[in-house]
Amino acid sequence: MSNSFIIGQYVPGSSIVHRLDPRTKITIIFFFVIIIFFANNLLSYGVLAFFALLSMFTTKIKISYILKGLKPVWFIVIFTFILHLLVTKDGEVLFSIFSFEVYSGALYKGLEISLRFTLLILMTSLLTLTTTPISITDGVESMLNPLRKIHFPVHELALMMSISLRFIPTLMQETEKISKAQASRGVDFRTGKMKERIKAVVPLLVPLFVSAFKRAEELAMAMEARGYNGGEGRTKFRELKLQRVDAFIFIFSALILVVFFFTRV
Amino acid sequence: MSKSPKLLKLIVLSILSTVAMLLMLLDFPLPLLPSYLKVDFSDVPAIMAAFIFSPIAGVLVEGLKNGLYFLYAGAGDPVGIVANFVAGTLFVLPVAIFYHKYKTVKSVISGIVMSTMIMAIGMSILNYFLFLPAYSWIMGWENMSHGVKLSTIVVAILPFNTLKGLVVAMLFVPLFMKMKPWIEKRQLVYNT
Repeated sequence: MSNSFIIGQYVPGSSIVHRLDPRTKITIIFFFVIIIFFANNLLSYGVLAFFALLSMFTTKIKISYILKGLKPVWFIVIFTFILHLLVTKDGEVLFSIFSFEVYSGALYKGLEISLRFTLLILMTSLLTLTTTPISITDGVESMLNPLRKIHFPVHELALMMSISLRFIPTLMQETEKISKAQASRGVDFRTGKMKERIKAVVPLLVPLFVSAFKRAEELAMAMEARGYNGGEGRTKFRELKLQRVDAFIFIFSALILVVFFFTRV
Repeated sequence: MSKSPKLLKLIVLSILSTVAMLLMLLDFPLPLLPSYLKVDFSDVPAIMAAFIFSPIAGVLVEGLKNGLYFLYAGAGDPVGIVANFVAGTLFVLPVAIFYHKYKTVKSVISGIVMSTMIMAIGMSILNYFLFLPAYSWIMGWENMSHGVKLSTIVVAILPFNTLKGLVVAMLFVPLFMKMKPWIEKRQLVYNT
């Protein structure tokens, strides 16, 4: 397992995008994802691409690193593009390879879908690149707070999410330790028939479950000893506060939105 | 023992979700099937939660697992995350309900076979009406024809989900037989 998973995708930094309130980022990206489906000509796509690229450059994260994160979706984008070239038959014939004709409409459609998809993935990955998982959780908790009125357990879910996130590195180490310990006792995880390899996971999971429950009991005890009793009246260590920069970015995004609707046909 | 069973339960479920998410990262391809259809054991902690607490706890673990995966691995494919949650729920619920009724090894074996069938058939139906149209909408493949959808399901989705269920069953049944006393003890500790 690679080290990069220990803090997820997050890249530490101090750019404007990093310093934005998670709620601002979530809201803007949420609207971006919806609005991109309304783009219907080159200019409107251009406006959105400008916004996405501008956000990308402001993060000051290395471009090569961001592109590396997009690697798993390149395959889908190229596949869709080629599929469109083969299937769509609009417009005039541009050129033909081995008696296969490529239409101008197909090229346009393929490019449009690829661009749309790339922008979608780029924007959502900017969120996970510039925000720690824990502050995304905090942001979502604060945005869902109104749902408490209908007795939706917002605080409990956010607490569960934070606890889960906190235990990722711990349990990752634990898994590694157990698998080494069992390998030294002769468990073979890598070779043998499929069936034997599946069965070899049992001695890995038994101690993992037992220790997971032990850790849970210890944490529950520790939290109670410190007086935890539910979400009511609980104060926070990391408080979310909207800054001036949030207002500025909000207004800027709203302006982009207005420009966007003027460029549509 | 802890005084508040609710807090303890909440923490246990969170940590089980972490285990599930980590198992999700350790996925592996199956022989004979294309490499992007991968199998993982992330349903096992969810079944464990469903056995010790209630079937709904298993669903909660499935949901948290996918939320964590989304935050960690990034938003490559939102439809896939929803599909994984639905598949997990369809897989966990039948075996957990069966187990809670009879509490024997035999009931777990027949339950997990039933789970595999329900998940494979359920995912085929949902793919036809929901997930494949969602993919084709996002990708702009306009309307996928019935023939294409049906053949995708028969060739890929049905066999994949059946095999996935069977692979998880091959791990879970021996695991359950080893851990049965431990599971029963946990039930006593947490549910009284």
